[in-house]
Amino acid sequence: MYKEKLDRILLKVQKPSRYIGGELNSIEKDPENVKMRFAFCFPDTYDIGMSHLGMKILYSLINEVPEYWCERVFMPLPDMEEQMRKNGILLYGLESLEPIKDCDIIGFTLQYELSFSNILAMLDLAGLPVYAKDREALTPIVCAGGPCCCNAEPIADFVDLCILGEGEEVNIELMRLLELCKAENCTKHEFLVRAAQIEGIYVPSLYDVQYNEDCTIKSITPLEGAPEKVRKRIISDFDKVYYPETFVVPFSEIVHDRAVVEVLRGCIRGCRFCQAGYFYRPFREKSVDTIYKETVSVCETTGYDEVSLTSLSTSDHSEIEHMLARLADYSDDARVNLSLPSMRIDRFSEELLGRIKSVRKSGLTFAPEAGTQRLRDVINKNITEENIMNGCRIAFEGGYTAVKLYFMLGLPTETMEDIEGIAELCQRIIDLYYSLPSRPKGKGIKISVSLSTFIPKPFTPFQFEPQPTEDVIKERQKHLMEVVNTKKVQVSRSHFDVTHLEAALARGDRRLSAVIYAAWRKGCKLDGWTEYYQYDKWIEAFRECGIDPSFYVNRRREYDEILPWDHMDLLVSKNFFIRENKLAHEAKTTPNCREKCSGCGVSVCTGKACF
Amino acid sequence: MENKNIRVFFSKTGRAVYISHLDLYRLFQRAIKRAKLPVWETEGFNPHVYITFALPLALGTAGLCESLDTKLTEDISTDELVKRFNDALPRDIRVISAGEQVRKPTEIALSEYEAEFDCDDAAFDAFLSAEHIPAEKKTKRGIAELDLKQHINVLERRPGYLRFTFPSGQEFNINAGLLFDAFEKISGTEIYSLHITRTEIKCADGENFR
Repeated sequence: MYKEKLDRILLKVQKPSRYIGGELNSIEKDPENVKMRFAFCFPDTYDIGMSHLGMKILYSLINEVPEYWCERVFMPLPDMEEQMRKNGILLYGLESLEPIKDCDIIGFTLQYELSFSNILAMLDLAGLPVYAKDREALTPIVCAGGPCCCNAEPIADFVDLCILGEGEEVNIELMRLLELCKAENCTKHEFLVRAAQIEGIYVPSLYDVQYNEDCTIKSITPLEGAPEKVRKRIISDFDKVYYPETFVVPFSEIVHDRAVVEVLRGCIRGCRFCQAGYFYRPFREKSVDTIYKETVSVCETTGYDEVSLTSLSTSDHSEIEHMLARLADYSDDARVNLSLPSMRIDRFSEELLGRIKSVRKSGLTFAPEAGTQRLRDVINKNITEENIMNGCRIAFEGGYTAVKLYFMLGLPTETMEDIEGIAELCQRIIDLYYSLPSRPKGKGIKISVSLSTFIPKPFTPFQFEPQPTEDVIKERQKHLMEVVNTKKVQVSRSHFDVTHLEAALARGDRRLSAVIYAAWRKGCKLDGWTEYYQYDKWIEAFRECGIDPSFYVNRRREYDEILPWDHMDLLVSKNFFIRENKLAHEAKTTPNCREKCSGCGVSVCTGKACF
Repeated sequence: MENKNIRVFFSKTGRAVYISHLDLYRLFQRAIKRAKLPVWETEGFNPHVYITFALPLALGTAGLCESLDTKLTEDISTDELVKRFNDALPRDIRVISAGEQVRKPTEIALSEYEAEFDCDDAAFDAFLSAEHIPAEKKTKRGIAELDLKQHINVLERRPGYLRFTFPSGQEFNINAGLLFDAFEKISGTEIYSLHITRTEIKCADGENFR
């Protein structure tokens, strides 16, 4: 146990309480009575990782098994890493303060591509070889889960296996199998071959990938009985799915420092750029009773005074108004604020506004994503200008004077006209504001435009699309800055350097493992942090490996090309994505799932209609 | 009933020594909410439970007699209060007792510390017996030079152990860690492990702060 050693260094680092554990509701077990140990690694800092709901769920779920112990592990910032290395401290779990290399499973959750290099950094800091092939013993098994596992190919060389889909059931199954294999003295390879038989488990080393001369994929062949296609796991009875009664409450302030209750999973909308919208299908909601019970439990046991009702699109809950009214009974009494993070502008009403207004009146955020109706139809946002204007009117009449609008630049079929459309839309919102007699008196309006760059992602209808080149992106960004000619609108845009790498990694294949390794050797890590991101090092790494990032970023894929992630089965068929891609190019929309089933393939797999 | 002023004594040890003063404040606010204690809330735009700490404790130093002041809006027995607090607090923060606010925080003059450490004891003895112990103290106005020798009162010393007092209070306070920083700097040697615990807080008349 590193307690003594940590006592020697912790006063030398920033915010030491995040490196010591011992928070309220954290779980310590006697190692003597524990059969299997799971190190749950979030490949980013404590402040970010502790905000992540999936980790809270799986942490509590594993710890419910008396003989299993799950610990939390995060990426230390450079000041801490330096002290750890200087003092011979290997990466440790926050519960036991013991090295994670002695755990049975080291599991990473992959939420964004820019955390890939942190996996290598953390394995290295744990004292383990970063390449899976160099870790010969049965344990620790290094695995990964989370949305990025729908294309885990770029990290295929580093992890032993991936967990595709929802981890609530499969994690325990996997641990049971490993427990059995330990007892039987299996080799690591024997374990992996058996694990590949569990639905949702992907073992990259059991697939042989061959390439064509033009670097596209020629074939993906499963070996030793591994399934042709790895099917993602889903929880069928979502209302009864495990949810923690309580959360670990950090000592220091973290990014999302509040209680969280997941009200639904999946999304009915089918926005064509959104990976999460397809990854988490089918749409399933919790009953108001369950949501109420979970809200009370988490608030009462943590002492948080704010609860966020989270999901991909909370206002799409079929009983949203009943839910809020019911929760208000509790929250008013307990002095807990409700927050609704993901609200669609077309579902926005005076009543919803009333519910969230009591929280804080800073500003409202909406995501039109594109400046013209044509482009909104291309991406299937299914929001009209009327919806936007109506949402803004309700907000202004409710006393708001600031709105934040999210847009994406570089969407398929985008022209300069669509860019200008953003500025024009903002102007019409400003005009609307000043036309309202009931607007807040004596106050001006402020519109913040957040302009991110579109990144085509696997398992979306846009997985075939190129991202525009650097010149085009920069020219369009510049053009928007030029056509926005009022100080009432403030534009912030994403950095090309960052989106470029994310775009390459998102649709990468196994050859990128070498690039990630080279970049990490050059010191790349914490790529999601502007202050640590080293784009030039990444470009060097690509060059040294003889790989041109534009092959992944700027190339259109034919519909019949074998994509690096084609052996993953997210229940949504490739044919559906092709169909949706064609509709996008015709600027034709697809109705949401509740209105009409579009035959994405999910209901065929689950054997029942989603609605 | 009228609001009743109350002083709660607690310890902060083990992993909790790394909780900063600001975070400790939030931690107690949440604990009070969890424990559903009848604590008075400030009025105004953003109401919050009212608590103040008598004397901040330096990051990294453990404390056995830390205290916070608050107001209760309902009568509740001391035992019940202590129990409910402890059920709602992380393991390494324990409420020990609660009672009337006898002395004012402004009367605090001294803190007594125990330090256990591992270093070159001969060098440490030489350091302690020197005529001056120059150190640098960070203040709001910048860095101030001071002579710790004038302020320290050594109560007990044996190898690897020191019990001593330093001035404490809202006006003038010396962080116990300064002594050991000064030792490392002056002697050029390293302290391999160090655990400092504040064991008592005293008023100018020598009485314990209660």
